Amino acid sequence: MAKQFAYYPGCVAEFSSKELNATTQALAPMLDIELLPMPAATCCGAGDIAEAKPNLYLTLNVRILSQAEEMGVDVLTICNVCTLNLRRANKMVKEDPRLLEKVNEELVAAGARPYEGTKEVTHMLWYLAGEEGMSALEARGPRGLNGLRVAPYYGCQLLRPSSVMGFEDPDKPQSMERLITALGGEVADYEGKSKCCGFPILLAREETAFKESHVALAGARDARADVMVTPCPLCHLAMDAYQRKAEASNGEEYNMPVLHLPQLLGLALGLDNDIMDFGRHMVSPEQALATAGLV
Amino acid sequence: MPATTFDVFRYQPDSSDTPYRQEFALDHSDKVTLLDALLQIQDEQDGSIAMRYSCRSAICGSCSCKANGRTVLACMAQVEEIKEADGSDTIQVDPIGNFAPVKDLIVDLDPFWEKFRSVKPYLIPDGKAPEKERIVSKEAMNKVYNESKCILCAACYSECNSLAADPDFVGPAALAWGYRFAGDERDGQRKQRAKLYSGEHGLWDCTRCMYCNERCPKGVEPRDAIEKLGGVAFREGVSWGDAGARHARAFLVSVRTGGKLNETLLVPFTNPVTAPLDAPFALQMIRKGKAPSPLPHRIKKLNEVKHLMKNVKEEV
Ligand code: SF4
Ligand code: SF4
Repeated sequence: MAKQFAYYPGCVAEFSSKELNATTQALAPMLDIELLPMPAATCCGAGDIAEAKPNLYLTLNVRILSQAEEMGVDVLTICNVCTLNLRRANKMVKEDPRLLEKVNEELVAAGARPYEGTKEVTHMLWYLAGEEGMSALEARGPRGLNGLRVAPYYGCQLLRPSSVMGFEDPDKPQSMERLITALGGEVADYEGKSKCCGFPILLAREETAFKESHVALAGARDARADVMVTPCPLCHLAMDAYQRKAEASNGEEYNMPVLHLPQLLGLALGLDNDIMDFGRHMVSPEQALATAGLV
Repeated sequence: MPATTFDVFRYQPDSSDTPYRQEFALDHSDKVTLLDALLQIQDEQDGSIAMRYSCRSAICGSCSCKANGRTVLACMAQVEEIKEADGSDTIQVDPIGNFAPVKDLIVDLDPFWEKFRSVKPYLIPDGKAPEKERIVSKEAMNKVYNESKCILCAACYSECNSLAADPDFVGPAALAWGYRFAGDERDGQRKQRAKLYSGEHGLWDCTRCMYCNERCPKGVEPRDAIEKLGGVAFREGVSWGDAGARHARAFLVSVRTGGKLNETLLVPFTNPVTAPLDAPFALQMIRKGKAPSPLPHRIKKLNEVKHLMKNVKEEV
């Protein structure tokens, strides 16, 4: 039977990075995952609402968790920031029954369902790099990545703080390396893979943000990666959509195509290119993929 | 008796401008801290190794350094645990990052102290001093408990990604001290503090890389303090002056009107002046389908959310 999840794609994957949502939805049945929609879920607040109105952040996120609880399944995410915000709220109320009670009072007063604290939040990467995901991949018998040289880029919020995330050592993450290798790709290792992409301050502090994305983009370039892959659509925006601006601001050339993690899996499993829609990327991966015989 | 090789960063500007690395093989007892091991090397093998330390018990905050790239307090880090975590009998020891090395493991902390002083890290109460002490409830004190634990070791600056990109960023510990007092009910300068910390290199510079929370040896969680300072800035009404704060406002407006983030609002909200100048980039984004409809994205049961937005109260 397919593994069911309450699917929380997050706002960016639903709107500006639609290709990520579409690819994930097409990929899921191939890997024996059933994604159940959450039509009443809000934005997680991306840390911005937490900064401006911490109690509101907590209540909105617990409301989302409660919806998954009502559906009887755990939450599956495809964004670092959503994962951190939901997991943090979950941890806060699970560890503090009095806080949960307070939040539930607000939810009930608003006509929403109270939360019992029984659900977990998992990023798709964690599921896929775990036992179940790996065996689903194996069963599918991927056609492979033909030695494509891939630089894994984790970003921050899927790794740190480890007290909230806790899936792997934040200083030596290996989940994407495992997947890349299992899919027949070559890992391009570099130091910047768990440094910040700069996205949270990109609009407010552009120059500083570009100095931040430089660390990973230059690292992947110098490690001779054909493409970079990321589990987060916000990292993707900073690394792909803003890459040319970063090049201009930093006086550098990166020319680094950036894939969403599900696109990398899609390539290895032979998913239709129209669904993965590489035409929506600012830095086209087509040439790198064509050289490897993947498109 | 365990044996470990310590691969130590050396920099002795009196004899050479070029830093180098030096390996020391050491037999030591099995429950030795990194600081004890370094002191043993200093004692038995090379007295010229320079480092700061004092209390040896995680109180003075002097001995922060990097072990295999991770920033630690040397007196809290167990040698055998580091070896086990990294699967190697060699430990690389380096000075903390984001500061200029002065000699071996000692860095120039002047910028750290300047930033610390710049946040006015002391209580500024209103009015005349009372005859007796100001009584504060345990509950009120708990709100600044985490921030009160800071020992000013600078470990949180070592890998701060915003500091690496902007050396003038006031940084995690200083902002944690800012909240230590902005969140203290006896303080009378909350609004002034919110303004002081919201400046160009202030709290909205933080890129949320979470290294400070990960590395702080005392559980201060500086990033959480910065987030709380953001809340103070909002409640004190000083949140329109900074692009970072306006960015947060765009989220609130989006969620109130539709439930989901309206990305198209973010740019003009954050940078109302420069956004129109960036038309070529905006056009490119539109062509790639990366500028979604500016209309609110409505979720089901939006009335629940509207009710929460109106009724959930924020405390200081
Ligand atoms: S916040 Fe933590 S890491 Fe930073 S100076 Fe204080 S004790 Fe050290
Ligand atoms: S979360 Fe902010 S303050 Fe903390 S290390 Fe990262 S950028 Fe620096």
